[in-house]
Amino acid sequence: MAVDGEIEGGGINIHPMDQFMLEPLFGEGPVHWYTLTNATLWMALTVIAASLLMVVGARGRALIPSRAQSAAEMTYGFTRKMVADVAGREGLKYFPYILTLFLFILFANLLALIPASFAPTSHIAVTGILALAVFVSVTAIGFAKHGLGFLKLFWVSSAPTVALRIVLAVIELISYFVRPLSHSVRLAGNMMAGHAVFKVFAGFAGALGVGAILPILGIVAIYGLEVMVAVIQAYVFAILTCVYLNDALHPGH
Amino acid sequence: MDNKDFADRLKRLEDRLGAATAARVERVSPGRSKYTQSSLAWRMVIELVVGMALGLGIGLGLDALVGTRPLFLVVFALLGFAAGVRTMMRTASEVRQGRAEGALARTSPNDEAARGRNGD
Repeated sequence: MAVDGEIEGGGINIHPMDQFMLEPLFGEGPVHWYTLTNATLWMALTVIAASLLMVVGARGRALIPSRAQSAAEMTYGFTRKMVADVAGREGLKYFPYILTLFLFILFANLLALIPASFAPTSHIAVTGILALAVFVSVTAIGFAKHGLGFLKLFWVSSAPTVALRIVLAVIELISYFVRPLSHSVRLAGNMMAGHAVFKVFAGFAGALGVGAILPILGIVAIYGLEVMVAVIQAYVFAILTCVYLNDALHPGH
Repeated sequence: MDNKDFADRLKRLEDRLGAATAARVERVSPGRSKYTQSSLAWRMVIELVVGMALGLGIGLGLDALVGTRPLFLVVFALLGFAAGVRTMMRTASEVRQGRAEGALARTSPNDEAARGRNGD
């Protein structure tokens, strides 16, 4: 849990992990599954922000777009091109799902950069569910499209003997499960690391007095990096979803 | 005659467009390319570790069910490791082909321009 960085003399007291604590929005007490927490609040804000951009921003449908409209159109066009490039034309049927995923993660990451906010995507519970949803839907699509032929994904028919093929099938099966796990660990890890580093630097700044200028400059630099990380990680999550989708649509390697 | 003229003009336009596009290929900032490359490296490491951990988990689970403590643990740790390597190699081939996330890590603008020209 909270990593205590207490250093004698300097009076540094850094709790970089406290920011990830779930707290009830109203009143005190234990957090149940139905309790409204700061995570609920920030995920709701994420959904609102994404809807504001895509629904309200693009509502004008002007020939010469406003700033919001062109931002929405660029996001749409960019994601659509990505799906078409990676998953092919067949994959375009699932484009709404991928755009939703991309926007949710993008806005959750970006809103988490507001000071004193909460980062839902730094919790593996959130990213795990996102990756699990991708995993389940992609597997379902694979079975729906190809029936049992989808299992050919695990059957390496180029291997010489049947025994070897069975071993390889087990390996392929495990590696099929590795992907959603690494997918979620990666997003959560990236977000958590970045936000923890902010807190550590901020702790230094609090203890150094005039010398605080150095950690503050550091925070500015890391903030820039984190903006990039937020966008790239959302993009990576979406593009990996496309890659898995492509595997499910064309299981014959 | 007219048709040929038109085709010629189209051809010239295509050439000019191609040249203009090649000239406009954006230089990827060094910070970004470094980040995407290290991000890919992290992805591979995570895949390796997750594969191993998943194998260990499956092995321990099977052992707990059947009661043959070290047997499945050893077998599935190895299989999990192999699965991790398999996933990692798949990522590496993505990078080599410049597909999916690997396309991000491609940095040299000359590369991109050359590919654009060949693609036409």
